[in-house]
Amino acid sequence: MKSFKSTVIAGLAVLFFAVALLPAATTSAQSSAALSIVPKKNYVIEPGKTVKDTLTIRNLDSEKELILNLRIVDFTFSDDGGTPKLMLAEDAPQTTWSLKPFMTIPKSVTVKPGGSKTVDLGVKIPASQGAGSYYSAILYAAGSADGGNVGLSASGVTLAFVQVPGEVSESLKLEKFGAYFAATASNKGSYKTFMATKPQSIAYTLKNEGNVTESPVGTITLKNMFGQEQKIDNINPNSSLALIGQSRTFTACIKLASENVEFEGRATQSSSCTEPDLWPGLYTASLDMYYGQNGNNTQEVHSTASFWYLPWWFVIAFIVVLAALAFGIWRLVDKFKGRNFSNQRKKLSRRRK
Amino acid sequence: MRHTWVRLHAFIFNWRHIFTEELVALVLVLFIFIAPASAAMRFQERSLYMNSTVPGASTSYEVSFRYMSPQPVGSVDMLFCVDPIPYHECVSPSGLDVSRAVLNSQTGESNFAILSKSTNRIVLSRSTASIPTTVSSYKFDNVVNPTDSSQSFSIRLKSLASSDGTGAQIDFGSVKGQVTEGVEIATQVPPMLIFCLAEEVEYNCTGSNDTYYTDMGALNSNSTLKAYSQMAVGTNASGGFAITANGTPMSAATNVIESPSSPTESLPGTNQFGINLVENSNPGVGQNPEGEYANAIPSPNYSTPNMYMYIPGDVVAYSPNVSLMKKFTVSYILNASPSLRAGVYTSTMTFVASGRF
Repeated sequence: MKSFKSTVIAGLAVLFFAVALLPAATTSAQSSAALSIVPKKNYVIEPGKTVKDTLTIRNLDSEKELILNLRIVDFTFSDDGGTPKLMLAEDAPQTTWSLKPFMTIPKSVTVKPGGSKTVDLGVKIPASQGAGSYYSAILYAAGSADGGNVGLSASGVTLAFVQVPGEVSESLKLEKFGAYFAATASNKGSYKTFMATKPQSIAYTLKNEGNVTESPVGTITLKNMFGQEQKIDNINPNSSLALIGQSRTFTACIKLASENVEFEGRATQSSSCTEPDLWPGLYTASLDMYYGQNGNNTQEVHSTASFWYLPWWFVIAFIVVLAALAFGIWRLVDKFKGRNFSNQRKKLSRRRK
Repeated sequence: MRHTWVRLHAFIFNWRHIFTEELVALVLVLFIFIAPASAAMRFQERSLYMNSTVPGASTSYEVSFRYMSPQPVGSVDMLFCVDPIPYHECVSPSGLDVSRAVLNSQTGESNFAILSKSTNRIVLSRSTASIPTTVSSYKFDNVVNPTDSSQSFSIRLKSLASSDGTGAQIDFGSVKGQVTEGVEIATQVPPMLIFCLAEEVEYNCTGSNDTYYTDMGALNSNSTLKAYSQMAVGTNASGGFAITANGTPMSAATNVIESPSSPTESLPGTNQFGINLVENSNPGVGQNPEGEYANAIPSPNYSTPNMYMYIPGDVVAYSPNVSLMKKFTVSYILNASPSLRAGVYTSTMTFVASGRF
């Protein structure tokens, strides 16, 4: 009997330790963290109307289920680019442009291994809602792991923009315009007036002081010292937005290279800036920009900016040519002076005689 | 030479009594007010209201503007182009058709009728008459919207004195319009964002080592603890993607190991938690981004070898436009000072992949 008791106690103890150790084991068998989502959604919804749409989520893991918790979070801008600053804290204050009161989504979704699922999305704009832009993000959060020092958790975000039509307040103020060097892994993007390397893009920074997001259109004309022109047809090729209150820098390639690439078995056009045909010298860029929401006044912004493209080889060649010219002139002057001097000496000696 | 100056002075002095300062000022004022009236001016308060913005839909357009020049107007030319600049070549918006447009109503300056129309042009005509200063609007039915929602279009407007749409323009200006993706349009290739994360992931997100945490070992003040994780990302969205790193720095109860707010080298013996996304030699950890597509890059603050930092919410990698799959390796370093309180220090790093606007 005693041995039976001790066997049971020993068995329970083993079970207890096994259960205690279980979380560490389950962390490696948690939800998949490989997902495919829609990055952005745009809607135009009149006051009093509702839009029903679906969001497709794919689980790229062929072995594990993808378990996601969905919630709506607000966002704003993080800098002068197009990266959203997500307000992830549960107690984050609601923004004035939030879609939270109008949007409905399920709280969670489970997607089979290697499968996809569509979830319903509804946006209902009250009849009394004023015209303007409203935006929030849908956060898909995979569960986080327990164990170790650093736990990893993957989340995806769909940005949702709703335009409520009507009379809106629109104001874009041009802050900067000129030649622009895009950000790289080691440098932040910057405007330049004098440059030794060819600029690949022209940029303009606009401050949005209205109550709607703005997506300007128009052209930029680039002219060299001899009047030759290059035209940038589309100054906002990605239909980028300036959010409410944001100073947004829009860039446009001087020379655009497009190629068809295959992404997930589908043909996609990819565009990037390539080296433009620019000779050293002074360039003048003219911006002709338009913006305005449907039914509101179309507004214009016009500006010009200049920049110098002076590569080192050109500067050195210019200095060498300048030095050669100066030397030549000096030699000529010297020669002339020398001749004059000898003539004077000759005259003087003749007089003495 | 001196005589010439004296003669000029005498001449100007005589005329001074006729051309007084007041007269000169009056001429200047008249010049300012009259000159613009004789030159072409921009229409003001220009707008376009599209009753439906669904691509390819048959709808009505209402074009409104204020005439600015006081000259009599006999016709109004409306040219539909992608580019709003009047002196640029006109490319017709794809799918747009105004050849069956009907002038439904007009307010302000009225009595116009459609003189001629084509796929992308409407010319309104009437007997030449003077114009008021109120805003005028013209509503057209049976207009077929452009089909390309990726770019806007414009209507180049100009008023003319003649009734047949020819001759010199009086006023000019453009209005902007754009179709927007309808919810029911599901035939286009939808943009997608692909993202995966684990200690080790496949380049195309098809597999991982199923490990979502890492144990860095026991802290001591003489050495640096290190770890890594990987994430792969790609998108066909024209706006690109951004990945932010979120989560509190390493902590045990109320004790926190702070992170540098600017790129800093690893300093054993100090409390320090930092990350970067490149290959490092001090300590030896991490890899440079893998993938042939150059658009996707680590953020400048997280791309210097042997320099680490961490600010929750920071963008650690991004692409400004379409990017095929790219794999990033995140390196973590952890240092402790001799005075650090004992405990199990942990942190959950949440990497959020989002589209860009």
